[in-house]
Amino acid sequence: MNASNVRVLYIDDEDHNLQAFKASFRRQYEIYTANSASEGLKILENVPVHVIIADQKMPGTTGVEFFKSIIHTYPDPVRILLTGYTDIEALADAINHGDIYRYITKPWNDLELHNSIKNAYDAYKAKIDLRNKITELEKTNDELNRFIYSISHELRAPLVSVLGIVNLVKMEDLFHSSGEYWGLIETCSNKLDYYIQKTLQYYKNNKTASDQSQVDFKKLVSELIELYAYTDKNTKFLVNIDQQEVFIGDSFRIEVILGNLISNAIKYQKADEPDKKVNINISINSYHAEIAINDNGIGILNEHLEKIFTQFFKSKNQHGSGLGLFIVKEALTKINGKITVSSNPTDGTTFKITIPNAQFNKEA
Amino acid sequence: MLVDDSPVDLKINAKIISINDLAEHIILCKSAEAGLSHLRKHRDEVSELPELILLDIQMPEMDGFDFLEVYQNLPKNITGHSVVVILSSTLDFGDIQRAEANPSVLKMLKKPLQPAELRKIIDAL
Repeated sequence: MNASNVRVLYIDDEDHNLQAFKASFRRQYEIYTANSASEGLKILENVPVHVIIADQKMPGTTGVEFFKSIIHTYPDPVRILLTGYTDIEALADAINHGDIYRYITKPWNDLELHNSIKNAYDAYKAKIDLRNKITELEKTNDELNRFIYSISHELRAPLVSVLGIVNLVKMEDLFHSSGEYWGLIETCSNKLDYYIQKTLQYYKNNKTASDQSQVDFKKLVSELIELYAYTDKNTKFLVNIDQQEVFIGDSFRIEVILGNLISNAIKYQKADEPDKKVNINISINSYHAEIAINDNGIGILNEHLEKIFTQFFKSKNQHGSGLGLFIVKEALTKINGKITVSSNPTDGTTFKITIPNAQFNKEA
Repeated sequence: MLVDDSPVDLKINAKIISINDLAEHIILCKSAEAGLSHLRKHRDEVSELPELILLDIQMPEMDGFDFLEVYQNLPKNITGHSVVVILSSTLDFGDIQRAEANPSVLKMLKKPLQPAELRKIIDAL
């Protein structure tokens, strides 16, 4: 913006000050003058001013009082206070209550005042730019939220209908009627559904808002096992949960973490293992929840242990998405949890997790 | 009674229910409004009132939650015969919690409809 488009309002009860100001700056700025606070207010009502300069000592309303009075009605213009004497009280008041940008003593030095107005205008612009950016970001964020919501509905609903049809085909004994085609449709649909679910989990986890509610681990774990064991009834679950204390935490993220680990424990079983097992041990005290999930599945190669938490890491021969453990790790980071993993042929794979109990932190 | 805006899902779920012999009579409603008007129309014919309502959440104009709000205020001689089970494909945490918290909702089922889950509910009625 050209400097002459900067709109400056100068309020002073002494006419010759107003005249001198005009004479010095009329080439640089668009200048409005008023000889009282109420006159100044009239101008503010009609002109979107960028910078306001007010004299402190005026009959009736002082400069600081004027600035205080417009702090809510006109928060945007940047304020400069002019005063003929060093009035510490006015100065303190101005800084504390008037949201004042600069304090300049009279008689002013043209160059100093000019620089102050220039800087004040820059501050004004920065303030407005920031606000526009925030509005823009809020709009983008809003659109993204709506987009994600529509993915979870519009995209998934027809896919789930397809899975429903496949179920019907099975019930009507038609599943093997077209070679392996129905089976392939089912596999592809499940895979697509899995990706949609993981994408949503990842996105939701990225949002910072975290809710703090009571978590009943016994109930949560049994629900998750019911949910994921649906596809594989052969795996035995040995669950041991010791929860005497109330646990407060982010129930959504904890569900995501446990859900991914439990579904992995089921998914990565050895095909020929007659005694498929998953042990889940959870103990809760007032400081944290300690969770260990152990399975006797195919295990994780030593050289892979460090990579399994990175995005899109998949081991050869495995049909994972490379997202599950990445999401687990991201979710844990958000709630200040920790995870370690060990895997060997005799004990199988064990994930150990610690999640802080917000109950304790609240009391502290 | 099935309340769902998707004709495909109405067809699929009706078929799943009839193949598995889970209901004698299935009422198909293409919208929440249609469901409510069926209930109102047959307020005095107990034989026409559903014992189980399978309700979708995501529907245009009047959604499942809007349906529940009206349903709760229907006279007892209508609602006294029925239980409401949500049947939805939603993954939205907020929707799921809202559905489970609703006092008129017996249970929340996820699509695709699993006959075993529905049988459990019907057997318990």
